[in-house]
Amino acid sequence: MAESDLITRAAGGDPTAFQALVERHRAMVYRVAYQFAGNHHDAEDIAQEVFIKVYRSLDRFRQDAQLTSWLYRIVMNACIDHRRRQGSAASTPCGEDAEQRLVNTPKGGPGPEEIAYGGELGELLQSEIAQLPAGQRIVFVMRHHQGLKLCEIAEALGLAEGTVKRQLHAAVHRLRAALTAANVTAGGRA
Amino acid sequence: MIACAVQQSGRVELYFYGELEQEAAAELRSHMSDCGECRRALEELTVIRAALATRPDICEPADGDWTGFMERLDDRLQRERTARAAPVREFRGALPILSPARRLVVPLSMAALLALATTSVFYVARSRPMEAPREPLTADVAPGGLGPSTWSAETGFASLSEQHFERSKLVVLGLINKDPHGASPADWEYERQLASALLSDTRLYRQAAEARGLTRLARVMSDLELVLLQASLSRTPEPETLEQIQRLIQKRDLVTKMNVVARAGP
Repeated sequence: MAESDLITRAAGGDPTAFQALVERHRAMVYRVAYQFAGNHHDAEDIAQEVFIKVYRSLDRFRQDAQLTSWLYRIVMNACIDHRRRQGSAASTPCGEDAEQRLVNTPKGGPGPEEIAYGGELGELLQSEIAQLPAGQRIVFVMRHHQGLKLCEIAEALGLAEGTVKRQLHAAVHRLRAALTAANVTAGGRA
Repeated sequence: MIACAVQQSGRVELYFYGELEQEAAAELRSHMSDCGECRRALEELTVIRAALATRPDICEPADGDWTGFMERLDDRLQRERTARAAPVREFRGALPILSPARRLVVPLSMAALLALATTSVFYVARSRPMEAPREPLTADVAPGGLGPSTWSAETGFASLSEQHFERSKLVVLGLINKDPHGASPADWEYERQLASALLSDTRLYRQAAEARGLTRLARVMSDLELVLLQASLSRTPEPETLEQIQRLIQKRDLVTKMNVVARAGP
């Protein structure tokens, strides 16, 4: 069935149509939620919240708009809401502090490419991402992982594009600092 | 420590993510041929991309089974439907998931308000002579055929919404009257904290209004929520951010709407 028909039927209260919409988009929603949260528990909470919000506001969705863009907007705001609910002192999904883990990385090991492709550095960066402030984190996830343009992110979050650029810069700066802490430079391990 | 102003400006990231115009990208490439700092930043971004690309693509629950997720979602949707069908009776059930303490804030406030109203009515009634003509007290009138208990809950909710609007209006007026180019960081931080403090309650009121079918109130709360969200997310006093918030307030005619809803009720 065409998506527009599903939306019309779901907005009219058809639970089967709504379920079909959820099944169609749940992987995308879960992916973003996981990239933001870094763990299944929070990713599932966020994804649930997204679909509840979709259910509540589907009748206000404009048919001429892209459902995916609209969903992205809801996902981004749900991620920030979720983080806000957890509070600024919420624990990170990783038990060990990322910076400490970077410092603890043994010296004289493989170079950055080996680390990167071995997955170790990816894991460390992922835990660093999980510690970014919510604004920086969602901007980085949507730009880096989802490939959204900064202007699209700005519009979805209701922020000035300059603010979003600065959030991205701050996020990247922190990730680069993590590389430095791990003694990883682009030219190899220091 | 970053020494290069170009690197500090964030243009390297914009270049890396394809966000620079052609001319600006060419300028940056030219700059990078002489600037080791920017070159290193670009190379490190490449390392970050390669490293993150090794992370597994997680797009489903841990066990790969959506059944539990869908069941939980169905349960919540069922509660939503019930709340829509009986908005007043299911008011508490329709609230978002909050900590137990936060969940009690609205009902306790309503209870306190109702107790105050009841006491006031009692004293007013006692102070009047028995023979005096009975003028209908506002709280005695149940509009739309609602029963007394329903009307009390609705009145309490309306009153709380009005109080919330009064508090929020101070922040909205503060934002709209601020000079975008003259706001000090401390001043901005104060406004931002006020906006953050009001945001959760605004969302709560908006959701409660939606659950109760109070469309007009829900819409104004939604506009207010958007303004507060923008203000609370902006950590530095950037003129363009403040100007955008001010445009949003004006475009939505938020102050007028808040006044109208507060005066006329939800």
